[in-house]
Amino acid sequence: MRTRWLLALVALLLGLGTTTAQDKKLKACFIYVGPIGDVGWTFAHNEARLAAEKAIPGLETKYVESVPEGQAMPVIDRLVADGCNVIFTTSFGFMDQTLEAAKKYPDVIFAHASGFKRAPNMATYMADFYQVYYLNGLMAGALTKSGKVGYVGAFPIPELKRHISAFALGVRAVNPKATVNVKWINAWFDPAKAREAAEALIAEGNDVLAFTEDTATVVQTAAKKKIPSFSHYNSMYKYAPDYVVSGQIVHWEKIYIDFLKKVQSGTYTNKNLQNVDYWWLLREGAVSLGAQTGMPINPKFVPALKAAKMTVNGKQVSVYDRVMELLKNMSSAKPTFDPFTGPIKDRYGVIRVPAGKTMTIKELNEMKWMAPGVVGQVADEPKQ
Amino acid sequence: MRLVPDPNPPRLRVLWVSLGAIAVALLIAGAVFAAYGLSPLEAYRTMLQGTLTDWKGLSEVLRRTIPLLLVGAGLTLAFRAQFFNIGAEGQLLMGAIAGGGVALFLPLPPLLSLPAMFLAGVLLGGAWALLAAWLRSRLGVNEILSTLMLNYVAQYVLIYLINGPWKGQNVRGFLYSDEFAPYEQLPTLPGTLVHWPTLLLGVVLALALQVLLTRTTLGYELRVVGENPGAARYAGISVPRVVLVMAIITGGLAGLAGVGEVAGIHHRLLEPAQISLGYGFTAVIVAWLARGNPALVLVTAPLMGIILAGGDLLKISLNMPFRVIDVFSGVMLLCLIASEIFVRNRVRWGRR
Repeated sequence: MRTRWLLALVALLLGLGTTTAQDKKLKACFIYVGPIGDVGWTFAHNEARLAAEKAIPGLETKYVESVPEGQAMPVIDRLVADGCNVIFTTSFGFMDQTLEAAKKYPDVIFAHASGFKRAPNMATYMADFYQVYYLNGLMAGALTKSGKVGYVGAFPIPELKRHISAFALGVRAVNPKATVNVKWINAWFDPAKAREAAEALIAEGNDVLAFTEDTATVVQTAAKKKIPSFSHYNSMYKYAPDYVVSGQIVHWEKIYIDFLKKVQSGTYTNKNLQNVDYWWLLREGAVSLGAQTGMPINPKFVPALKAAKMTVNGKQVSVYDRVMELLKNMSSAKPTFDPFTGPIKDRYGVIRVPAGKTMTIKELNEMKWMAPGVVGQVADEPKQ
Repeated sequence: MRLVPDPNPPRLRVLWVSLGAIAVALLIAGAVFAAYGLSPLEAYRTMLQGTLTDWKGLSEVLRRTIPLLLVGAGLTLAFRAQFFNIGAEGQLLMGAIAGGGVALFLPLPPLLSLPAMFLAGVLLGGAWALLAAWLRSRLGVNEILSTLMLNYVAQYVLIYLINGPWKGQNVRGFLYSDEFAPYEQLPTLPGTLVHWPTLLLGVVLALALQVLLTRTTLGYELRVVGENPGAARYAGISVPRVVLVMAIITGGLAGLAGVGEVAGIHHRLLEPAQISLGYGFTAVIVAWLARGNPALVLVTAPLMGIILAGGDLLKISLNMPFRVIDVFSGVMLLCLIASEIFVRNRVRWGRR
């Protein structure tokens, strides 16, 4: 009799426990550095927020757009007062203030995109494209007739250096003599400068274009001159259906949904995030190949890519098959291929990745050198 | 209805017309909110409640007020002298550059650092305005164009510095300088971004400029030059000298504001659009509202501060697009300029 009472009491407590856990609402708030209509970085984060809201029942979200970098703290203050218990800050420039906020509000969970500082209640996350850039490089190498591929870059930061280098490694794997010619626009969002850079690259004889910045300008400019291009960040197929070959697409929702579900289930708390660093790639589905989700390669370019041949381990294979094979490999649970597998020299001939080694996440995040084939001035690059 | 020119409008009418212009601006902005699907009353309630009734909101208003106060007070002086300085944004950035340069590279005893940063900011900000003033007095270059264009030069100088020689060590290639040392950072009111030394400086300087304008020879000369350059010359006032001194003051104050922003909030140099959220342009409205009285800026700067901080609230609490603040200040400026006709003219009803 007594044990039955005890059991009932335990059951009741458990029941209460679960109901209170459910009652505690999950409210995730997002701080964006740009406007949600930028067709780039912030747009992608906002799409992911909406997807997470749909995927997780009971999740409430909120966002603040165009928050200047020095001023995240007052916004975080507001969001915390508003009942947010998870706050995502989606720009490198918010790093120090997010860390400060994590100390100020130890009960709130923070996650900062693209940074490297963490705390017990602050994680970091990044969806990275370098594998996809390599695949796009293979295709660009196959499609260029002049042997010159143009590249419009935003800023010479490690992220772009590894993307351009992976791209150039791909280009050179198909066409060992080709070059990747880089022009920097020193802006994430500046359509006028992006157009100027793209036009200059075309005038200099580049007949395939790729880019890393937050507009669709390069795709549009290339299409006007009837030149193939590779899109970046979001679906850009619709801007030039005849000329976009492929590209890279981000899926931040994979990270957001995983993170928030783990917060909901209690796996992540405000005490155990010190070592939580999402570095998600093709394998996790955080990025994908294509100018549009579900279409890795524009069908218009498939025949040309099937006809183009490259040498892999002494055997002739079509570029199309190689891209598909590597895509499958790197998307699998245990990828065996990585673009940054040694031996790799930088463009001045210094060995940067020894034979048999692949680059670590830390090395990728701090990368300063450029791969062979990249032409153009690059700031902050070691010469020796 | 007829308009009769009135060269000496009574003060009361200026006040009424200004208030009327603000009311019309609020009505138009309200219509924009309504078109967006938001009740204007709800919007204004959010703006006022969130900025005036709690300390967090009030501190945000104050933070915006600081640069507007400094830049605005300087601009009233420029407008009084009929020198249309649209380049306060660039002067502010040059001030930030000078202050940042001193903080990063000039080894000074800690106690001297902040004063030296402010001094450098005043000098370079002033020099930037002086350039346009000199071009006008020497070559007759229109100062509206030159000051406006110098904004872009200042922006690119800053970008060049943080992208090149002044780039920080641990910033992963992003455009930032290194952080200033703790003694090169301004103290703030606890829990806020209100760097109170700059605020104090702003209040003192606004009052001082009022005294300068109304109680000193230079102020008198400045007013004469503004109202009638020909008469000024006839009276033996050196117009170029007055304009140059005025330019140093107006640019210097903007430079001061720039130092305040980097030393008080950012603690490093960063991209121009992040340092100044268009304070140099918003301050034009502040100065216009104050009708050329530096002391009145003490009222008009917080007013624009409320609009800026309140606009942030519309963004955060009601998820309105971030451009709503620009719409707001644009409508405000438009109404103020349009209302000018009712200041300069008397309205007569009836046929004659």
